[in-house]
Amino acid sequence: MTEAPITAVPRRPMAKAWTASRAILAALGIAALIYLPFLLTERAVFGVPLSNGMLLNLGITQINLMLIFMLGALSLNFLTGCAGLISIGHGAFYAVGAMTGAVVGTQWGLPLPVVLVAAALVGALAGVIAGLPSLRVRGLYFVLSTLAAHHIIIFIFQEYQFEFFDVAGVPYTNPALGPMALDTPIRWYFFLLVLVIAVYWGLSNILKSREGRAMRAMHDHELAATAMGADVRILRLKAFALSSAIAAVAGALYAYYLTNATSESFGISFAIQFIAMIIIGGLGSLPGSLFGAAIWLLLPSLISGLAANVGDAPALVRVLLVDNRAQFVQALFGSLVIVLLIFAPGGLPDLSRKLGRLFARERGQ
Amino acid sequence: MTEPLLSVDSLDMRFGGIVALDHISLTAEKGAITALIGPNGAGKTTMFNCITGMYRPTSGSIRFAGREVAGRPAFEIARAGVARTFQNLALFPGLTVFENILCGAYLKGSSGLLQGALRSRRSRREEHEAEAEAWDILGFLGMEDLAASKPAELPYGQQKQVEFGRALMQKSQLVLLDEPMAGMSAGEKKAMSDLILRVRSDMGKSFLIVEHDIPVVMELSDKIVVLNFGRKIADGEPEAVRNDPKVIAAYIGGED
Ligand SMILES: Nc1ncnc2c1ncn2[C@@H]1O[C@H](COP(=O)(O)OP(=O)(O)OP(=O)(O)O)[C@@H](O)[C@H]1O
Ligand SMILES: [Mg+2]
Repeated sequence: MTEAPITAVPRRPMAKAWTASRAILAALGIAALIYLPFLLTERAVFGVPLSNGMLLNLGITQINLMLIFMLGALSLNFLTGCAGLISIGHGAFYAVGAMTGAVVGTQWGLPLPVVLVAAALVGALAGVIAGLPSLRVRGLYFVLSTLAAHHIIIFIFQEYQFEFFDVAGVPYTNPALGPMALDTPIRWYFFLLVLVIAVYWGLSNILKSREGRAMRAMHDHELAATAMGADVRILRLKAFALSSAIAAVAGALYAYYLTNATSESFGISFAIQFIAMIIIGGLGSLPGSLFGAAIWLLLPSLISGLAANVGDAPALVRVLLVDNRAQFVQALFGSLVIVLLIFAPGGLPDLSRKLGRLFARERGQ
Repeated sequence: MTEPLLSVDSLDMRFGGIVALDHISLTAEKGAITALIGPNGAGKTTMFNCITGMYRPTSGSIRFAGREVAGRPAFEIARAGVARTFQNLALFPGLTVFENILCGAYLKGSSGLLQGALRSRRSRREEHEAEAEAWDILGFLGMEDLAASKPAELPYGQQKQVEFGRALMQKSQLVLLDEPMAGMSAGEKKAMSDLILRVRSDMGKSFLIVEHDIPVVMELSDKIVVLNFGRKIADGEPEAVRNDPKVIAAYIGGED
């Protein structure tokens, strides 16, 4: 301990230095993100056509859906990992957004930006209502209450759908941002990319600011957070409101992107996939949310791509990759989630770190 | 005659059949270091929990800064100006040492989630002020090098200090320390006592301290309250308490 006076203490900068190599890496990353949609739609580099396999069997639609699901994974991970709440109801907030889009966009004919703001507001409100049980119950009981919220919301969607539309569902038409129509996958891509970056930026700012830090504190040690003067009930509801608002915006975009939605688009497995994404990417980690959503959305088509190239592979590989691909992918994800939950709660990044250390130790001996 | 900063009057705390606090009255004066001592299980931590709203007392009154606070929720009592540390460390393991201390500034700011997300001017200003203050406190504790560490990477004594720093960060008049020197060497205890004295003189905070090291307590405190089995057996200046036969009897058996 020093005897320095309380004031006059040198400050150390917290931010990492912005080195040249980091700047180059960032520039390359941005260039790749800008080039990606053109590569995936033209399917050629400088006029030289690329095979499906060379493009890893990916298309721009998968990338766009991935971006939409990234919004869901980010917002759920904010809630689960940072504020310490697990919700099975997250998919239902996508439904809330889709329903808001149906009313404000399809029925009232208002433009997409208005739809998105409305979805955020309605989503926040629905989130606060669904979060109310958190004032009373914890743990498994709270999880069950989010399951109940899911069923209630889907029921409302169903009633609404059959009152104003039919079994084919709700059509969503002519999305546009002011003068720019979102009528090509590339336009969608850039819009969604900006949105994902903005949400990521906003959430990571929150985690480094007053209330977000209090939420992380509440997650780590609720009593101590209370002793700092934080009203944890209010903080929880705020976390719920924000998370659901983002999910609802994503839900409206999902409906517009697919041009159609029914109550069945948002079943329980739709909701559970967000939980899988954040477990794969790492609970509580914002970059992990992006990573988890990417794996979840892209791995199946990578595997389909593999399946197309297994002409003379052993019978077992054919059986797995070709004849039973859907089941194989499900089993793969299922076992991945279980393994991660047991061995690496920090998700795949955590698992690879742990394996790396294990191998390093083996070699050291 | 001014009212004490904290005055507890006839406080009872029962858990089922256990009487953890039996009609306890005590005061902590403004600007003073008051010690609460007693053998294990005497009810010291229970008293802290009642004062800070973590337990709802069975009956009795707790007045802080002129307001009745008994039975109020913990966050409200913190807002009234009471900070505390915990006997068993209560740091935030997922946050760095620096962030742990920053958390103490929660009540000093007012910016919400959206302002934080958009880095509004107010949010940035609050963050800036809190960071400057957190560096001051880290410097004061001599722990600037450890700012980026996670609490679990530090030895127990330093974790206690981080928690102390977090409590200092809080906007408070009274700081409750539950065994701040547990697990420290004699040298560290001396340094900790000096820190507490300096906080009192430089920041003007008052203290209520639970500590088992009797010589340290005698040296540090202005007043000592002694509990035994939930009853108050002595209350007064260190010299008087030290020679009180009831206190000596309570401590025979080496319960310190
Ligand atoms: N939540 C609780 N439920 C039941 N009994 C409790 C509870 N909290 C404290 N007690 C009881 O109250 C009594 C006083 O405990 P307390 O923790 O206040 O003692 P202490 O003076 O802080 O002791 P130590 O020096 O060991 O920390 C003990 O008999 C304890 O078992
Ligand atoms: Mg105790």
